[in-house]
Amino acid sequence: MDFYFGLLQIFGVHTLLGLSAYVVLLTGQVTMAQAGFYAIGAYSAGAATAMFGLHILPAVILAGLVTAGIACIVGFPALRVKGLMLVVATLAFGEMVRLFFFNLTWQVERGGEMVGPNGAEGFRAIRYFPENGWEVWHVTVFIWIVVAVIMAALWWMDHSRAGAVLRAVGHDETAAQSVGLNLTAVKVGAMTLGGFIAGVGGGIYAHTVTHIEHGVFGVLLATFAIAYPILGGLGSVFGTVIAVLFIQGFLIEGLRFVGDWRSLLFGALIVVAMNLRPHGLLGEHAPNLRRIFGREKTEREALNTKEAK
Amino acid sequence: MDYFFFIDFLQSLTDGLLFGTTYALIGIGFTLIFGVMRKLNLAYGAAALAGTYIGLAAFLSFDAPPTLVFLLSALGSGVIGILVYYCCFRFTPADYPMASLLASVGMLLFIEEVVIHASHGMPFPYPSVFRDATIELGDIWIRGDLLFVFGICVVAMAVLFWLLYRTPLGLATRAVSQQPRAAALCGIDPTRVNLLTFGITGILGGIAGAMTAAAVGVLSPIIAMGLTVKGLIAVVIGGLGSIPGAIIGGLLVGAAENIFLLLRGVTERDIYVMLLLFLFLVLRPGGLFGSTAGRD
Amino acid sequence: MKLKAFIKAGLLSASTLAMATAAAAQDKAVRIVGSGASSGVVGIFGQNSSAAMAAAFDKINEEGGVKLADGSKAMIETEYYDDRCNAEEGISVLRRIASTDALVAIGPTCSNVAEPLFGILQAQVDDAGDTGLQFPVFTDVAIKGGLAGISEWVFRNTPSEAKMYDDLFAWIRAEHPDLKTIYGGVEEDFAHSRFTWYEVMKKAAEKHGFEVVGEAQWLLSDTNFSNQARAMRRAEPDVVAISAHPFTTCGMLREMSRQKIKPKVLVGLTSSSSLETLSGCPDEAQGLTIPTSFAPVNDNSKAAAEAVVAKGGQMDLHSASAWENAMILKEVIEAAEIEGTPASVEEDRRKIRDGLAALTEADGLLGVNVRQPDGEAVKPFVFVHAQGKGWEVLHDPKS
Repeated sequence: MDFYFGLLQIFGVHTLLGLSAYVVLLTGQVTMAQAGFYAIGAYSAGAATAMFGLHILPAVILAGLVTAGIACIVGFPALRVKGLMLVVATLAFGEMVRLFFFNLTWQVERGGEMVGPNGAEGFRAIRYFPENGWEVWHVTVFIWIVVAVIMAALWWMDHSRAGAVLRAVGHDETAAQSVGLNLTAVKVGAMTLGGFIAGVGGGIYAHTVTHIEHGVFGVLLATFAIAYPILGGLGSVFGTVIAVLFIQGFLIEGLRFVGDWRSLLFGALIVVAMNLRPHGLLGEHAPNLRRIFGREKTEREALNTKEAK
Repeated sequence: MDYFFFIDFLQSLTDGLLFGTTYALIGIGFTLIFGVMRKLNLAYGAAALAGTYIGLAAFLSFDAPPTLVFLLSALGSGVIGILVYYCCFRFTPADYPMASLLASVGMLLFIEEVVIHASHGMPFPYPSVFRDATIELGDIWIRGDLLFVFGICVVAMAVLFWLLYRTPLGLATRAVSQQPRAAALCGIDPTRVNLLTFGITGILGGIAGAMTAAAVGVLSPIIAMGLTVKGLIAVVIGGLGSIPGAIIGGLLVGAAENIFLLLRGVTERDIYVMLLLFLFLVLRPGGLFGSTAGRD
Repeated sequence: MKLKAFIKAGLLSASTLAMATAAAAQDKAVRIVGSGASSGVVGIFGQNSSAAMAAAFDKINEEGGVKLADGSKAMIETEYYDDRCNAEEGISVLRRIASTDALVAIGPTCSNVAEPLFGILQAQVDDAGDTGLQFPVFTDVAIKGGLAGISEWVFRNTPSEAKMYDDLFAWIRAEHPDLKTIYGGVEEDFAHSRFTWYEVMKKAAEKHGFEVVGEAQWLLSDTNFSNQARAMRRAEPDVVAISAHPFTTCGMLREMSRQKIKPKVLVGLTSSSSLETLSGCPDEAQGLTIPTSFAPVNDNSKAAAEAVVAKGGQMDLHSASAWENAMILKEVIEAAEIEGTPASVEEDRRKIRDGLAALTEADGLLGVNVRQPDGEAVKPFVFVHAQGKGWEVLHDPKS
């Protein structure tokens, strides 16, 4: 049974990672910085509990706030550019964070042992859960309560004015600007919110695996962060959840029976999925300007094929 | 500033510049595809790697001479590039770049896994020429094989320029990249141009992969990620859509990398390269050669 | 070739499965499973150790299986789970294994999976306040020093690098009394290589009177080593020790030969004593001296190596551990007198753990492995060096 609870933990943590990218993607920005934010969250929450004996809940919230602060600061210069330039800029930021933790050695003594990040060897013994008598299912319930709260908040945001504003910027910046939206504020706001969610996710991640090291937070993780919402569809938060189930549940755990071929199918099936459902598994169901003009668009498409968005 | 430091500095600079040509080639590939399709092809580095392995297969199976190995690497990568186009770009919506972006990520993972499956992840020796030749200018040594790498990359760039600026095909490519709709109205088939671009960039990537492998002398699947990231950085520094920009960007990244290695050590080297990139983005968002309109 | 191997493996496993089920009709079965990376860049390690494990269990089953508490014999069933060298997946795999009737796991491959994996296990046995997983793990490949201390449920049969390099440098000192200086090369972003240079090789070299005149650092995926090699050339070291994996080891060796650096002795990382280094750079690696806990030096190890090759794997120091683990587990299971019934799974796991903890010695392929109280092992080893297309034994410290 613990195996299934363990799987649910992975789903929950990855959903948070995906949601953090989802918020930013709504504004039309592709960000590869989420792995960096995730790392900041992981290291700060790990430090809070393992080095300074904090309770898990304040530790995770603290991690979220620290990350949100950094995301806000990074957002200003990074969001001056967009498109491919932004991809590379955020990629560079993510790598910088990873390399920072690669170089970081900061240990304190606790119970006769040195605890804390130790450069390339990582940060060991973040064992808050087992040490405090949390069973596996306790942890799972805790994670999913956090996920549910964040999903509910995002769902509510999606259906409020804030969601419309984000999507307006995502669909057409010039139009959004001309109706009086402050682009920088909207984008940096989305980045900050995304940073908070990634920080919380990273903070929980650190505690479910007990040991973190810089290598985990590389380009691949950043790619997964944006893969979840895109694969699931940007229509609603449920797209991200579906995509996490598809990747973590089906492609990684579910295909185990095919043995050697599992890793090959992994990439191939993502390609197939994007060809069959280019707008994501759930598509774009939420209110979206593009759908309103959808019919007109198809007629023009023949001419327009290579036009930039 | 003592003599040794001065020599080291010059030597690092030379090595870095010579090595930077491979980054420049990858950068050109990204920039060409982006110019024509306004899309990012993340499977590019992996396709380059797979092409290099095709050359390697020839080397291992019938001991092919280096020239043939390089040629097969380049052509193999070109074919895989076209495959990537069909799998990730041809049938995904043109106005929704995220679909093809993610499809190319899937392709990246797939190609890498195929390579690893076939090679068991083992490093293999890769042929090289002038491996033991060194030109000694005083205390500065210039590696013969790196000079060869440099030369091949320069030739590849020259051929590319000729293709783009002296042939009808190149004219069509440039037309699509500047005004896709007008080009379509003039009867240029965008699919054909796209195919051609993916083929050409694939070949460039294959050359870059082959030259990297030749310079190290060993081929392993782990070089793909480094090439991809460095190539992207070169593009951004040089300015999107600009081929001279990608070349200068590549050389700059190569040189900066080596000099920071000398000054700050290997663990901090990449931080400074990334910082340099960040600086460029803030101060000159369009890159060295890009216009500010190229910010998209 | 790959496809053929796949089909062959499929047929083999199908036939062993058929045999196992036939056997199960009369006898009981005991499940011991493996986990580790059998795909991805380091997949070769998992493939080899899965082959070694399967070969060892086949041998045990052919000889009648393991004896249970009631005197009946049980066959060993096995399976191998791929974790792709990913921490989350490794944890998930172990939880899955623990949810079946498997009694003990052999694995994992990667040190970066091993650390989190051991972290979710109960740190101290009988600590009611610790809700970590209670499942014995007997590690074969993940080699980074000092990991077994994380949990009392963890045992490792990986060679103790501290002892190996201590002996190696002592031997170099004795063989070449005129050598004074050593230069280190380390793959800085790989936990195992880094640990081995700074905590093992460097300390051992200094202890035996070598002066460390410099260190060259590079990263896992680096392709340019000229700066590092140039600094090394100026230091003119007598000995060069490289703590890196085959890809960069080869890159660095190439650059060293280009810059005409010819140390009198060249020392490598244990993990590099595999086929990979010789496949990557056969010429430059000539003479590279490495201590390793496996070499086909006696009848036992030769037979084992052949059995593993027949299973489609290669026998090296890592997969040899998988083989030894299988053999040691058989002894432990018989000594612990487990019931082997579905109702006794929890007790049996505990008995196996206690049995492993109580071991002070175990038979290995090269001789007796000493078991340490903290779960680590000190294994017999030999020094090999690259000669032609293979590794040859240079010196056997026991002789």
